Amino acid sequence: MAAGPMRIRAASNGTETEVKILMSHDMETGQRKDASGNLIPAHHITEITATHNGRVVLAGQFGPAVAKNPYLQFKFKGGAKGDKVSVSWVDNKGEKRTDEVVVS
Amino acid sequence: MSRLTELALVAALMFGATGSHAAGRYEGIGRAATPAEVKAWDIDVRPDFKGLPAGSGSVDHGMEVWEAKCASCHGTFGESNEVFTPIVGGTTKEDIETGRVGAYIRGDAPQRTTLMKVATVSTLWDYIHRAMPWNAPKSLSVDDTYAVLAYILNLGEIVPADFVLSDRNIADVQKRMPNRNGMTTRHGLWDVKGKPDVKNVACMKDCRTDITIGSSLPDYARDAHGDLSAQNRTVGPVRGQHTGNATAAAAIKPHPALELMKKNGCSGCHGIDSKVLGPGFREVAKRYKDDKGAESSLSARIRKGSSGNWGDVAMPAQSQVSDADLGALVKWILSGSPEN
Repeated sequence: MAAGPMRIRAASNGTETEVKILMSHDMETGQRKDASGNLIPAHHITEITATHNGRVVLAGQFGPAVAKNPYLQFKFKGGAKGDKVSVSWVDNKGEKRTDEVVVS
Repeated sequence: MSRLTELALVAALMFGATGSHAAGRYEGIGRAATPAEVKAWDIDVRPDFKGLPAGSGSVDHGMEVWEAKCASCHGTFGESNEVFTPIVGGTTKEDIETGRVGAYIRGDAPQRTTLMKVATVSTLWDYIHRAMPWNAPKSLSVDDTYAVLAYILNLGEIVPADFVLSDRNIADVQKRMPNRNGMTTRHGLWDVKGKPDVKNVACMKDCRTDITIGSSLPDYARDAHGDLSAQNRTVGPVRGQHTGNATAAAAIKPHPALELMKKNGCSGCHGIDSKVLGPGFREVAKRYKDDKGAESSLSARIRKGSSGNWGDVAMPAQSQVSDADLGALVKWILSGSPEN
């Protein structure tokens, strides 16, 4: 299944910005079997990066233990209304996705 | 009141309102309901959109209302599984084409979300308008209800981000509901002549006339995990029996604040002992036991809402609680939430 767009919300309270992300990804662990007993190959996000106006504010590594359609929430210092927050991930098959929002 | 009784009452009121031929049958009993009385009862919105008030709301405005009034329980993206099952998720573009949620056919859905289940968009509108937000039902305006619904539909990718939902285009949205063809009506719950989902054939010969209970769990085994009923949330259908000493449990009268707490919707987010979404009441009492100003500060926080003291989830303002109830509840919480 092709991954859909991420849903991102970034809100600044003047001193810090809260970012909420809902990713759309199957996150197959590689442990599950399909109806005929064959292993379903692992397919999950391995790296996630969030940038604020080009500066990296969060970098993380995901593994097979993360749930399908992961939800991630974090805060960083700084950020003002109108700034851009961009989030991208790479999965173990090399697929990538980047989405961007304007801070509100 | 059950929906069935409600419908029956509406029907009865309408019947009365139609006038003279009714008066002939029930002469001297009551009076015909006035149109205003009938209108007050007749609040439902039907799948053919009868009863739907005119109005409109955009996805963008819906997002603002959602953040303010809905997100604290349902999550920013309707994804939260903490208090309720998620609103959004589990539906695909193919489902929107076919009108059947494929996850049911394949059997690969770990759980059911609202958008997977609901067949008629009118039901969503009606429910949100009548029952949401939980702490202040019926407080959303008609336009806000359209907006919130548009936001939910956008999260489910049923409508685009620049969509404005209104009474004029809601019928088109119905044609894109993921489970619109998933509702069956050929069964006993829908039609009295339909096939019932249980079967009870009357015994006609050699029937037992008396029933004796052959075995049951002894008290010490029933009691192995304490009183099960005390371990369930006080909202929703009861899921645990009183176990242990039955007569002792019946003799204890519940504290009146428990009733107040249910009435005002507190138990949706707070447990007595432990955290649900917000802190448990006894945790609150423990933290503020040496704080002399706790009574007024807690009252203010309940009335106006509060955030950041117990975690990320904000407490919405509880404007519906009367001053007397608020005072009684705060005193009860600070006294350690006795249950009787």
